[in-house]
Amino acid sequence: MSVNKLDDLKRRKEVIVAGGGEKRIAKQHESGKLTARERLDLLFDEGTFVELDAFVKHRCTNFGMESVEAPAEGVITGYGKVDGRLVYAYSQDFTVVGGSLGEMHAGKICKAMDNALKMGAPIVGINDSGGARIQEAVDALSGYGKIFFKNTMASGVIPQITAIMGPCAGGAVYSPALTDFVFMVDKTSQMFITGPQVIKTVTGEEVTAEALGGAMTHNSVSGVSQFIAKTDQECIEDIRRLLGYLPSNNMETAPEYACEDDINALEEALNSMMPENPNKPYDMHDLIRAVVDGGDFMEYLPHYAKNIITGFARLNGKTIGIVANQPKILAGCLDVNASDKSARFIRTCDSFNISLLNIVDVPGFLPGTQQEYGGIIRHGAKMLYAYSEATVPKLTLIVRKAYGGAYLAMCSKDLGADLVLAWPSAEIAVMGPQGAANIVFRGEIQSADDPVETRARLIQEYTDEFATPYKAAERGFVDDVIEPAATRPRLIDAFDMLSSKRETRPAKKHGNLPM
Amino acid sequence: MKKFNITVNGKAYEVEVEEVGGVASPVQRTAPRATAPAATAAPAPAAAPKAAAPAAAAPIAEGGEKVVSPMPGTIFDIKVAVGDTVSQGDVLLILEAMKMENEITAPAGGKVLSINTNKGASVNSGDVLVVIG
Repeated sequence: MSVNKLDDLKRRKEVIVAGGGEKRIAKQHESGKLTARERLDLLFDEGTFVELDAFVKHRCTNFGMESVEAPAEGVITGYGKVDGRLVYAYSQDFTVVGGSLGEMHAGKICKAMDNALKMGAPIVGINDSGGARIQEAVDALSGYGKIFFKNTMASGVIPQITAIMGPCAGGAVYSPALTDFVFMVDKTSQMFITGPQVIKTVTGEEVTAEALGGAMTHNSVSGVSQFIAKTDQECIEDIRRLLGYLPSNNMETAPEYACEDDINALEEALNSMMPENPNKPYDMHDLIRAVVDGGDFMEYLPHYAKNIITGFARLNGKTIGIVANQPKILAGCLDVNASDKSARFIRTCDSFNISLLNIVDVPGFLPGTQQEYGGIIRHGAKMLYAYSEATVPKLTLIVRKAYGGAYLAMCSKDLGADLVLAWPSAEIAVMGPQGAANIVFRGEIQSADDPVETRARLIQEYTDEFATPYKAAERGFVDDVIEPAATRPRLIDAFDMLSSKRETRPAKKHGNLPM
Repeated sequence: MKKFNITVNGKAYEVEVEEVGGVASPVQRTAPRATAPAATAAPAPAAAPKAAAPAAAAPIAEGGEKVVSPMPGTIFDIKVAVGDTVSQGDVLLILEAMKMENEITAPAGGKVLSINTNKGASVNSGDVLVVIG
């Protein structure tokens, strides 16, 4: 081959790698952001990223676009290895026509998604884009539409992860929303359907972009994004960590890691962890960390609906998904947001063959008009549905309160829990002793000479009789009552036993999840 | 500078309005014109309730961050006093609800400007309990 042709190739690639040029790259760095290529370099194991479609060009000739050069068409796509496993990625380049999405830009993303789906590999999308390329008109819109459709087709087949690392507005927000996990970087990323300017014009409300659609807003108020990081680097590190908990696709199981902790060790501290007074709160995180490998827990939506805790951990090196009530927040009640959060998490785990551990300490559903008007019935139903539908191993550990409908919603035996274990401190009943005694013994209390004393005595009787795990164990709703110190070995053993579980569901097009 | 004729309780006033800062967009320019007729009636009735409101809500200190009750329940204990300095995460009071003594903590550090509830009081979700500033 002539030297000229090799030089030509080299020159062409140099232009593409230079992206939007030094000035724009400097500006990107000044605003606290990495460039699209730097982000991919961090995401993939060193030297493993292979770029595809670098030569793709837009075809737009409207409004002077024919003379606009857009290296790599404003989005870098390709594949590489994360901890040795194949992962696809696309990364929008804000330095090239603002990372705006046109027909060919979208085409590159779609191609990467098609390949990820065909190869059964996760896809990571890094968003940093001004939005639709307006000059391309309906072709740009069509690009978004195609991505949404492919997101939906890939849903439940390969893990789809989105990182918002810059603006993401208008139609662009819906691709992230259709994916399994959304990461945002604090202060440098925003998501909204309509920005502050439009809102001011239409409703007169004044709101900053950060308050409207910043990372913390979506992590704590709207629940759109499940993870928040301080910097681009931290965010990418978190994505790599998350990928370690997930299988490459729905036909595989998550990778197993060597467990350095003793799998038979008893944790004596757990025997005294539960407060004597059942009305005292404690931090459920302490219990989770005491039980899982290395105390390592990657929390999903940690800032939203904190009354329920969801996240990934490992037991004996194998990934599990944990759903646990948090008595410290809202008494650990289930409410609209907690139901939504956990239902989505349960379905994510079930999609990707991740066993579920449900740790129960729940006094009930949160009462009040706000909750009823907010549709707690239909939102709570999502939880029941998600648990019932899930065919992965489901293990329920009742540590304290398990009352009424909330007991059922936290994956009781009847919703298909494969194994239910309880601590001796468990109280499984229709309602708490006070409320129950008032109803069951109403006549006796009213006709007593000393109603106060009688009521106290009857509450105590009820507590001794029913606020225990043994009534439920007598009926087989609890498979075993265990010593808290032995929780970790018992869970490891149980998940090992459940690993060969097979369960089928009636053939159907798809179920009708309450929305 | 814009001039408006405003009638309050039958008395007509000529008012000059100057917009400070900001570039008047076409939309903004139409807005004052649209509100002008409404303004004729608004000022007088609005003034009365405004004067009454602060008296009724007097205990709620202004300018601070309001800590509201997250759910209906009873105030079991109050751990701070007006004037105390608290840090983020400090327990302000205990709300007994749903068979639990729930710790209500400070969302941010600052001084306790007012306490708007009493021990034993029943509260609803959204009720202001403490104001920190």
